Amino acid sequence: MKKFIKNRLESTVPLYMIVLIGSVWLLSLLSSCDSFTETSMPVTEMNENAVFEDPATATAALTNVYAQVRDAGLLTGKSTGMSKMMGLYSDELSFWGASNDDSDKYYKNTLVPTTGMLREWWNATYTQIYAVNSVLEGLQGSDALEQELKHQLMGEAKVLRAFLHFNLIQIYGAVPYITTTDYTVNSKVKRVAEAEVMDHIIAELEEASDLLNIAYPSEERVRINRYVAQALLARVYLYNGNWGEASNSASAVLNATDTYSSSTTLASTFLKESTATIWQFSPRTATRNTDEGATFIFNSGPPPQVALSESLVLAFEAGDLRKENWIKAVTDGTSTWYHANKYKKVGNSTPQQEYSIVLRLSEQYLIRSEARAQQGELIGAKEDLNVVRLLAGLPSTTAQSKAEILSALIQERRVELFTEYGHRFFDLKRNGLLDAVLSTTKASWNTTDAFLPLPQEELLLNSNLLPQNPGY
Amino acid sequence: MQKNLLFRGRTGYMPFSLLQLLLLFWLSISSAQSVPVSGTVFDAQGTLPGVNVKLKNKTLGTTTDANGTFQIIASPEDTLVFSSIGYVTITTKVGQQTTLKIIMQSDKTTLEEVFVNAGYYKVKDKERTGSIAKITAKEIETQPVTNFLATMQGRMAGVNITQNTGVAGGGFNIQIRGINSLRNEGNAPLYVIDGVPYASDPIGSGSSASIMPALTSPLNNINPADIESIEILKDADATAIYGSRGANGVVLVSTKKGKKGATRYSAKFSQGYAQVGHYMKMLNTQQYVAMRKEAFANDGITEYPESAYDVNGTWDANRYTDWQRELLGGTAKITNINASVSGGSERTQFLLSTNYGSETTVFPGDFGYKKANLHFNTNHESEDGKFRMSLTGSYTVQDNNQPSTDLSIEAWILPPNAPALYDEAGNLNWENNTFENPLRNLNGLSIAETHDLIVNGILSYALLPTLELKSNMGFTDLSHYESSTYPSTIYNPAYGVGSDSSLNFYTNTARQSWIIEPQLHWKPTTGTLKTDVLLGSTFQSQNNRLQGMMASGFTSNSMIYNPVAATTLRVTAFDESEYHYQSVFGRVNLNWEDRYIVNLTGRRDGSSRFGPGKQFAYFGAVGAAWLFSNENGLKDQSVLSFGKLRASYGTTGSDQIGNYQFLNTYTPATTQYQGTVGLQPTRLYNADFGWETNKKMEVAIELGLLKDRIFLTTAWYKNRSSNQLVGVPLPGTTGFATLQANLDATVENKGLEVTLRTENIRTTDFSWTTSFNFSSATNTLKSFPNLEGSTFANKYIVGQPLNIIKVFHATGVDPETGIYTFEDVNGDGIITAPEDQQFVKDLNPSYFGGLQNQLRYKNWQLDFSFQFVKQEQLSIPEAFGLPGAVSNQDVSVLDHWQQPGDKTPKQIYTTGANGVAEAAFYNYTASDAVIKDASYIRLKNVSLRFEFPKSWFGKVGCRASLEGQNLLTFTKFKGMDPEQIGVGQLPPLRVITAGLQFNF
Repeated sequence: MKKFIKNRLESTVPLYMIVLIGSVWLLSLLSSCDSFTETSMPVTEMNENAVFEDPATATAALTNVYAQVRDAGLLTGKSTGMSKMMGLYSDELSFWGASNDDSDKYYKNTLVPTTGMLREWWNATYTQIYAVNSVLEGLQGSDALEQELKHQLMGEAKVLRAFLHFNLIQIYGAVPYITTTDYTVNSKVKRVAEAEVMDHIIAELEEASDLLNIAYPSEERVRINRYVAQALLARVYLYNGNWGEASNSASAVLNATDTYSSSTTLASTFLKESTATIWQFSPRTATRNTDEGATFIFNSGPPPQVALSESLVLAFEAGDLRKENWIKAVTDGTSTWYHANKYKKVGNSTPQQEYSIVLRLSEQYLIRSEARAQQGELIGAKEDLNVVRLLAGLPSTTAQSKAEILSALIQERRVELFTEYGHRFFDLKRNGLLDAVLSTTKASWNTTDAFLPLPQEELLLNSNLLPQNPGY
Repeated sequence: MQKNLLFRGRTGYMPFSLLQLLLLFWLSISSAQSVPVSGTVFDAQGTLPGVNVKLKNKTLGTTTDANGTFQIIASPEDTLVFSSIGYVTITTKVGQQTTLKIIMQSDKTTLEEVFVNAGYYKVKDKERTGSIAKITAKEIETQPVTNFLATMQGRMAGVNITQNTGVAGGGFNIQIRGINSLRNEGNAPLYVIDGVPYASDPIGSGSSASIMPALTSPLNNINPADIESIEILKDADATAIYGSRGANGVVLVSTKKGKKGATRYSAKFSQGYAQVGHYMKMLNTQQYVAMRKEAFANDGITEYPESAYDVNGTWDANRYTDWQRELLGGTAKITNINASVSGGSERTQFLLSTNYGSETTVFPGDFGYKKANLHFNTNHESEDGKFRMSLTGSYTVQDNNQPSTDLSIEAWILPPNAPALYDEAGNLNWENNTFENPLRNLNGLSIAETHDLIVNGILSYALLPTLELKSNMGFTDLSHYESSTYPSTIYNPAYGVGSDSSLNFYTNTARQSWIIEPQLHWKPTTGTLKTDVLLGSTFQSQNNRLQGMMASGFTSNSMIYNPVAATTLRVTAFDESEYHYQSVFGRVNLNWEDRYIVNLTGRRDGSSRFGPGKQFAYFGAVGAAWLFSNENGLKDQSVLSFGKLRASYGTTGSDQIGNYQFLNTYTPATTQYQGTVGLQPTRLYNADFGWETNKKMEVAIELGLLKDRIFLTTAWYKNRSSNQLVGVPLPGTTGFATLQANLDATVENKGLEVTLRTENIRTTDFSWTTSFNFSSATNTLKSFPNLEGSTFANKYIVGQPLNIIKVFHATGVDPETGIYTFEDVNGDGIITAPEDQQFVKDLNPSYFGGLQNQLRYKNWQLDFSFQFVKQEQLSIPEAFGLPGAVSNQDVSVLDHWQQPGDKTPKQIYTTGANGVAEAAFYNYTASDAVIKDASYIRLKNVSLRFEFPKSWFGKVGCRASLEGQNLLTFTKFKGMDPEQIGVGQLPPLRVITAGLQFNF
């Protein structure tokens, strides 16, 4: 019996298998169930169209640009940002770190097109601009969002785009003005003359000002409202020599007294609740303070990275409360060094105390003062200047003539706005004072250092950006 | 047991010559009494296991064990027959002998019956139509290395392998026949382990593997000791069956399998050390201080700045430390233990092996790399031989513990008079905040733990004698944890940084894949035509999950590995991706009279990495061979023992671009604003890209002379890659660095490969075999429409290789100013990039190869292997640190300009205050003056083995070995190692180990 079954199996199984299993096998071999190569949408990503159909995700796409600007590129408070770097580049800071650090090249004004930081600034800024453009295009194509939200977000995006370009032209001179996400256009862009970029910036800020509300769109002063647009307009008009517009824009902000008022003490100017703040960045986490704190503060000497330059420390008038409140001495017994002490917290604290402030009221007074002086409104100019001086515990200015007031303003801006986003360098530049001031204190200062070089790789990748800035 | 006792004390092993043996036969007096006879069988490479030993005309028989020994009961009249596949059968009369030494000669040619693995099929080496290079366990075992890619260096024609870093657990770069893709990451070959594709895409992330120059490669999981052979498929004939993944070659790894016979045990223990083999010649204190002082004087600075601690008296101007030896001069201890058991019956065989290895570090401190591994294999076939199955697997655990920062750069640039590392109390010395102590970096760790399982099963059933149904199934499961920590103790305490600023970046990666490949094999023979047909299909799926975290702000540094103790925890990266792959493939091989062979292969591939409409493509190749030595006119002569002409042509492809690249999406950002996680654009959107295609052509001739004692293979190939699937680099103004797109550019690789194997001497006591390989290759960008207007305009040149660098042309030092001068190409009076950066340097090796020798004298065996490369590379010591600034320098800066009229190779010293000199220096580092000959000849590997005579340990075979890697390098290159490209990595180390192996 057993043998019979075995025989049966031996004779039938091969046939059975060939016919049945073999054919199934072949079917599976040749079957074009090509759907196997389709995979589902990745859990880590979200379709672009969907992002701008939901108010929450559309807002998140925009607020991420604030985070990018806070964390990288020109405006970050980190040691790679403009506040430190342009401080070194001008006469605000001295450098104590290693000579192979890019910071040393900024300090010595020996930047070359291959200096890594230049490309980091350039790429980070244009990545931020791309993100803004992507948001603007997404908003324009969206039907699902309410008009009011759309306007708010578009206004914020336009201010960011204008502000980023504004800083770029201060650093690099003529730069491309990018308003699309289309890489076929953006990869071959040409540099646009500074004046033309300025026109774009002004138009963009004016437009944004119309789109935005006077109320901040969210808690705190960490997003852009209409006053932010106007405060920036004031600055841009001033840089552009449009005195009347500069004065008017600054007035628009200064007249909003129910929102903004000068701090009562210098110690509270840089606290996050300060009513003199127009715009500040919300820190990375709920317990974190500014990046500027870690960038400038040190506890013992010699300074590991940067200290305030001697000339800046000496620039404070006797009795200037800013010298007590905003800078701090560190000594090792024989030598003394100073660091910026506007922000006093390093790292985390509970509760948070300080946010990085981008725009504050004092600058608006100084802008209007300068604009008024330029227009011959000397009394008004002095009034505005004295608001800032008074707060610093100083007597009214002794300047009388237009020239004296303008000169007093340069000094006042120096001690008021030091280590804030490169103000000093920009002020010297727009007043044509770079050579006069910096060649006395900086050994290797050259006239051509007024503009930083464009990053080498960028010129290699897009020859339409040639020529390089002179001197490099 | 009884037998063993009997043998002990009898004549042990004696080195007989054949003559003596014959003499013994002659003198032997016959006796009818049966006695135990024992002996050892050898071949040219050493003892030979698995040889059938039989008594002529009797049924009694045995096989030799793992050490090549046998015992059998025989009478003096008996004749012993020794036979084994691939060897000439030997018969010998027993006579009065009780101990025999038998030397087996390989039969006719070395090629006979040698099979090579071609992936989906095996082919007799002499009948193959494709280009396949191979190394076996014999070559792998002599090398004290932990990564299997290292075992191939210098041993395979057309395969260029370089080591990234000397830090244990680091990776290698491999290029098979040059660079095909414009994308750096698109040039990896396909790895297949026992039939299972193994994703070599890097794991982890850069932030958590801070000490490594590249992301972690999973290939470290493969244990060299488990490998039976590595085959590399190079041409279209061999690779087209892998279709879209064959463009860059295929690396097939076959692990060791169980073999029938008595149970064999083997244990190997080896120990040794590794060191940096060569240091750069840097300035001593006297020279350095003189340089600095001269630089200040040149810059007109008479009062040394407060921060110039090295010369202003803050630091001892006479103190000298050789920082390279201080920071990199340690000795890493290497231990390796291996044990295996194998055996089996006619129908079922098994193998179980385990391995443990460890390597400490050359950096100061207690760091190390450990690897443990378990490998198994079982094979079974049914009584009728129709059904067969095989299960193979290995599980590997790696544990790597290294400092978070490679100290190499600090070892080069630290001033030689920098202060002591420790103060008198034994704490890190910060020299009153004037010294960034390099050992601060050792307080941070870069650790990695990897677990990897690879299992493969094969089931097959012979439906008919000529028709086999087969399925290959496999899965891989990899998990990886890595972490780089930056505790507050890596900073000078003066910064006042507390543990609330300590950081830990860690990444978890998990990757699983499965594959099913049903296949049909049909091998009919009609007359003199042998046909071999294969039809199969592939379904493969791979999942990847990666999570990167940053934990910061710890209560205490001792809690740095506990994310719960962090005040801030941030997800820095999260990726979950799915890759599906589906194909149908086939092969038809026609062999007429073992003279004319045609091989056709093809594949239709589909990949989920492409958008709708772009997912499928066809690939195929034709290969042909003519075995002219089998032609009647050539068959019966003694000089030419083998002759074959072969050629192939076909297409392969590449889909190495990452998943989901065709989608237009936003991704959550890793940062927050106002407590809300932002959304950011994922990439520049382009859904319209498809496969990259690679057309390969090869012609080769294989010649065996004098019974194949001289065997020469010469191959010429030409590969063209087009439709380049490229991350087109974009200017920063686009917002992104790259765009995924097909670029209508063509890259050509062509070259000549020669391998020569000779058996120089082959006698019973002494044999000497030599293998030589040579590869010469050129890489050319053949076409690139609109290159001028593209983003590659300044990176590539049509007609030049891809791996070029455009540099300034240095014209020396101006004798009047002492400043470097360069050719002003556009004549505008100033040196600017890119206008004047127009000189082209090719960084590809122009040729490379290796020479291996194996010598055996009685019980001694010596292997040594050379590797050579002809190339130009960046001369690292001349390209960092401004001479005169706070950075130690290569001694070549001593020959510098000092006063007008000096004619010197190096320019004036400056601290950086001389902007013109500094700018000239940076131009110099981007000029042809620093691209120098980095050719080298290296004694890559030496292995000396001694087989102890049998009598010493009774039944236990014992072998002692001494092995060395990277022993000697002959080069003009001034950096630490010419193999190393890039700055700041520990070079490959010199390794020497001693080992003992027991077999019983």
